[in-house]
Amino acid sequence: MKQPLLALVELNKYYGDVHVLKDVSFDINEGEFLTLLGPSGCGKTTLLRCIAGLERIQSGDILLAGTSIKELAPNKRNVNTVFQNYALFPHFNVYDNVAYGPRMKKSMGEAELKTKVAEVLELVQMSGYEQRMPHQLSGGQRQRIAIARALINEPAILLLDEPLGALDLKLRKHMQTELARLQRKTGTTFVYVTHDQEEALNMSDRIVVIDQGQVQQLGSPREIYNNPANLFVTSFIGDRNIFPVEVLQVGDDYSQVRLGEDVVAVRSSPSARGALSADDEAVLAILMDKMRISCEQMDNAFRGEVVSIHYAGSQIRIEVRVAGRILTVVEYQKLECECQVGDSVFVSWEESGAYLLPQEDGWEERGL
Amino acid sequence: MKAKVSGFGIFYLSLFFVVLYLPVLSVVLYSFNASSSTAQWTGWTLDWYRQLFSDRVIAQAFRVSIQVAVLTALLSAVLGTFTAVISLWVTNRTKKAIQGMMILPLIVPEVALGVSLLFFFNALRLPFGILTLVLSHSLFCVPYVYIMVRLRLQEIDVSIIESALDLGASRRQMVRTIILPLVAPSIVTAALLCLAMSLDDVIISTYMSGPRSTTLPVHIFSMMRVGVTPKVNALCSLILMGTFLIIGFSQLITKKRRFS
Repeated sequence: MKQPLLALVELNKYYGDVHVLKDVSFDINEGEFLTLLGPSGCGKTTLLRCIAGLERIQSGDILLAGTSIKELAPNKRNVNTVFQNYALFPHFNVYDNVAYGPRMKKSMGEAELKTKVAEVLELVQMSGYEQRMPHQLSGGQRQRIAIARALINEPAILLLDEPLGALDLKLRKHMQTELARLQRKTGTTFVYVTHDQEEALNMSDRIVVIDQGQVQQLGSPREIYNNPANLFVTSFIGDRNIFPVEVLQVGDDYSQVRLGEDVVAVRSSPSARGALSADDEAVLAILMDKMRISCEQMDNAFRGEVVSIHYAGSQIRIEVRVAGRILTVVEYQKLECECQVGDSVFVSWEESGAYLLPQEDGWEERGL
Repeated sequence: MKAKVSGFGIFYLSLFFVVLYLPVLSVVLYSFNASSSTAQWTGWTLDWYRQLFSDRVIAQAFRVSIQVAVLTALLSAVLGTFTAVISLWVTNRTKKAIQGMMILPLIVPEVALGVSLLFFFNALRLPFGILTLVLSHSLFCVPYVYIMVRLRLQEIDVSIIESALDLGASRRQMVRTIILPLVAPSIVTAALLCLAMSLDDVIISTYMSGPRSTTLPVHIFSMMRVGVTPKVNALCSLILMGTFLIIGFSQLITKKRRFS
């Protein structure tokens, strides 16, 4: 089996009494774009800082190409970080900022350095800006310089801490494509931290979902989106209607559940298969945009009453009250059923969009 | 928003500045007075300045003052900056201890400070003179440098420091290439402040002066015992001018481009 580039082995990190990383273990493969995804305060940035050497870990180990780096100072680790606020040196111009790493490490002469700086600036499409000072650059340009400054060191891993957080929406979209391009072109392993699921799903080869200092799920964007491992991932990724249902019968692939008076058959998640039996309460999660509204009675559907209809550009959001709960349906095409507020309708969904999970204590109170 | 100032407000403010600066102005004015008495004005003269420049004792005291002030400013700048930078890496507890010890020389009355230094240097058998003057002046100057440099350090984004380390700089390299250039304006301003404070000090200098190493303010003080002569006025005017120049210079430095 191929050796992973970076192996995290049962990392534990405390701030005083607060346990911020709990037995975090996973591998990062060479050349992949890996995203650490989670809500604010989940420990994802702390994990990144532990890899960079800016934070110490209390137990566990970090292996870079098989060698432990946990005792090494940040400047001795072959990883570089791009900080959220760029952290360019304000008193250096672009050239000196980019040249900083090699100069400190004395890894190349000034002539070689000049070619190298030109090369990385070209890579981030910032050629010609050598003499500018950081305060003369826009946010997006500073971001590119911060990336160039890290890439010139040719790190084994580039760590990016919410690098697009401070940019406006349009620029963010552009930089997403740009980052993915850079990653492919340089072949550098990227570890990217974000709380934005769309960013994560767009750019990553693999995603690590983190919550409360623990890895919740690791997988490709597709796996995580379609087959979330638990309730947290289900509610964090994708826009879903999540509500408790009563289990009538559990099968290998499908289970029968009831909401109000309607009985439907839904896909069971792997975690539901072993854990659920008849008469249990479970949680049904349905992707909003895989749902459909029809005026006629049909199988595998909930009967409900239209509460509101919003036209939001290309999509139409309809809220339907089913057995006392409000479900949101997102439709992209013209409604097949011209319903009005107050009408009685039937809500159905594509089979792959619905997922049955075991109930977990207190998940509704967390407001997920 | 600019509030409108009432007539009384303007009057009050003017009065305040008149009371504040009139004595200063009168000293300058009387340094040009031909009469040797301050009681009357008999015309313009530069005699007092001529006498001042030919006074050997004053010239010697002036040299001592300048030497002490420059050495104090340099020593304080180095020590204060060093302590402030070191504070970045110590535990919170040590940081608090350092801060406390830094504030102490500023709140202990100078008279008491002078006496204790006198005993201390006596016990060490240090000869009183420039060395003791510089050491004792630095005692109350280092805190100012420390405070000003720390304030500037707090404005520096931590991630700038972290990214320097992350990019491959050792701590020492990082301090040299990132921290020192960014805090340099504060160091210079603080050093100029030290220069002014050292030039100005009377109480501690009185204790610390040795034979042939009296500072200018101490000498002026002793001159005053035999009465205010226009020569003292002339000297004070020159000192005033020097102080204004230093302050103006430090303002210029702080006003120059500041980095975030």
